[in-house]
Amino acid sequence: MQAKPVLEVKNLRTSFRTERGKVTAVDGVSFSLGKGEVLGVVGESGCGKSATAQSILRLFDETYTTHEGEVWFEGQDLLSLPAAAMHSVRGNHISMIFQDPLSSLNPVYTIGNQIAEAILIHKNVSRREANARVLELLKLTGIPAPEKRMGEYPHELSGGMRQRVMIAMALACESKVLIADEPTTALDVTIQAQIMALMEDLNEKLDMGIILITHDLGVVAEVCSRVVVMYLGQVVEEADVVSLFARPLHPYTQGLMKSIAQMDCDRSQPLHVIEGTVPSLHSVPAGCRFAPRCPFADDLCRTRMPELEQHGDSQKVRCWHAETILREGNADA
Amino acid sequence: MTDMTQDIDLQQVKKALKKEQNRILMQQVLANRSLVIGFVIIALLVLVAVFGPLFLTYDPNQMDVVNRLKGPSAAHWMGTDNLGRDVLSRIVYGAQISIGVGFAVAVISSFLGLIVGIYSSYYKWLDHVLMRVADGIMAFPGLLLALALMAALGGRVSNVVIAVSIVATPYIARVVRSEALALKEQTFVEATRALGASNTRIIWLHIAPNTLSSLIVQATFIFAEAIIIEAALSFLGAGVPPPAPSWGNILSDGKTYIFKAWWMTFFPGMTIVLAIIGLNLFGDGLRDLLDPHSSRGKK
Repeated sequence: MQAKPVLEVKNLRTSFRTERGKVTAVDGVSFSLGKGEVLGVVGESGCGKSATAQSILRLFDETYTTHEGEVWFEGQDLLSLPAAAMHSVRGNHISMIFQDPLSSLNPVYTIGNQIAEAILIHKNVSRREANARVLELLKLTGIPAPEKRMGEYPHELSGGMRQRVMIAMALACESKVLIADEPTTALDVTIQAQIMALMEDLNEKLDMGIILITHDLGVVAEVCSRVVVMYLGQVVEEADVVSLFARPLHPYTQGLMKSIAQMDCDRSQPLHVIEGTVPSLHSVPAGCRFAPRCPFADDLCRTRMPELEQHGDSQKVRCWHAETILREGNADA
Repeated sequence: MTDMTQDIDLQQVKKALKKEQNRILMQQVLANRSLVIGFVIIALLVLVAVFGPLFLTYDPNQMDVVNRLKGPSAAHWMGTDNLGRDVLSRIVYGAQISIGVGFAVAVISSFLGLIVGIYSSYYKWLDHVLMRVADGIMAFPGLLLALALMAALGGRVSNVVIAVSIVATPYIARVVRSEALALKEQTFVEATRALGASNTRIIWLHIAPNTLSSLIVQATFIFAEAIIIEAALSFLGAGVPPPAPSWGNILSDGKTYIFKAWWMTFFPGMTIVLAIIGLNLFGDGLRDLLDPHSSRGKK
């Protein structure tokens, strides 16, 4: 699994210039994605998951955004590429699907047209060849009666179908990396399962690396091989999926795990919640960013920021008390 | 096997659904009274402008001094003017000029307004420049600015079109810009960018088509506005140069004789009123039909 990574993010820092000053949404994030690997990125809303994804593809308006760090893909640092060169990376080598399939498609074009566009932008093929490929892609993504569907408009399709179309667009140029930004959040549970199964299937068939951004730990356990947990713009824990679920080291990860409703839990007890809310990016706490909400926090935590450190062979964590937590096992706080 | 039959059924259901949708759309169009009435009025005027000359017996510029200032009669349905020219003929030929100018202005300002609006929504610095220029143009009353432009350009039909288009463009640009600003934030635009589409592609193939419905509605109002401004300019003697008939020119000729020959002002005046009412009704109707946020639900 840990062969040469296809995509390597090193110390990525994305900040926006806003009216209230500079805001750093992604603060020193590093991770790598192996060939054909499914990497989960989890965290609650506003923790910088999506911002990280969009920074990789440089989708932000760059007059208001600064990127620091490096994003290595096929021997190139994407962050230092000229803007024009990025056009041939997006959709061609790295593609992305979005949270809301209902608004991700242009209402005025048929889906066949839109998928064909993804091909025609990058490949020098005729319209007819593109259409043949569209048909293939629709079949691949499990859309019934693809010949009919090609001529339909987005509003004629259900949410799940539209997400399949989005996936077909992302696959159009056989990109090596797919960034899926909460691909199932807007869909209902049965469709979620179908879309996840489809993505797993495609991952195996096409050997495509997937970065799966989600806040659903169930999905992570199901499909990912490695997980990055983010909190307030930083990576707080990185581990392979088995270790992460077996012994989460960061108090935040533990909190997330405890917040999942279990089939066999005591239903008279209210569900666990992590106290407090994510602080605003305008007032980032000094020291460990999770300290204000952390049951283990002491003075050290509140004054000095811990580094992301290796624990065991497959786990990295950003916490002063990781050793203690590890020793005491998963004991309750 | 069962899968196949299900699939065929689904297609049939879809076809029936489409038919039903078309029927409902047709019903909505017909139930939209202002749209229908407006359309009929405009269609009539356009038909008259195009085919009317075939049925006319008098040349619009042919003078007949003996029969000057004659009231409406069987020979001259709308009477004759101070030079004995047939008012009906002049109004019909005038329709070609007035409607032609209005249409040309609507097309040109739509085109320019689309470009200005869409680019200023997309590039922030360009937005500041273009919108300040637009503010500048909009700060003047439309007629006054058109008058000044005509003074600078000189009296020709093509100059009327240019002057009025300059006045009208910011109004289209504003509408397109606000629509495009909202569209720009839609996920599908971001998704298209994530596919590797260039800015030009996003602007013209993805944002522009989605602004068209608002643009068309605004363009019909500009069409009406342009006819009024053209008439006013011609009335003031700064528009279409006489003796060419335009509705404003005919009115202008009539104003000296307003107490002696009411038909010289009444008929061209009514024609202008009719055209403007028709266009405005049509525009209102179109807006109700195309804009899901308007008050269609209340009916």
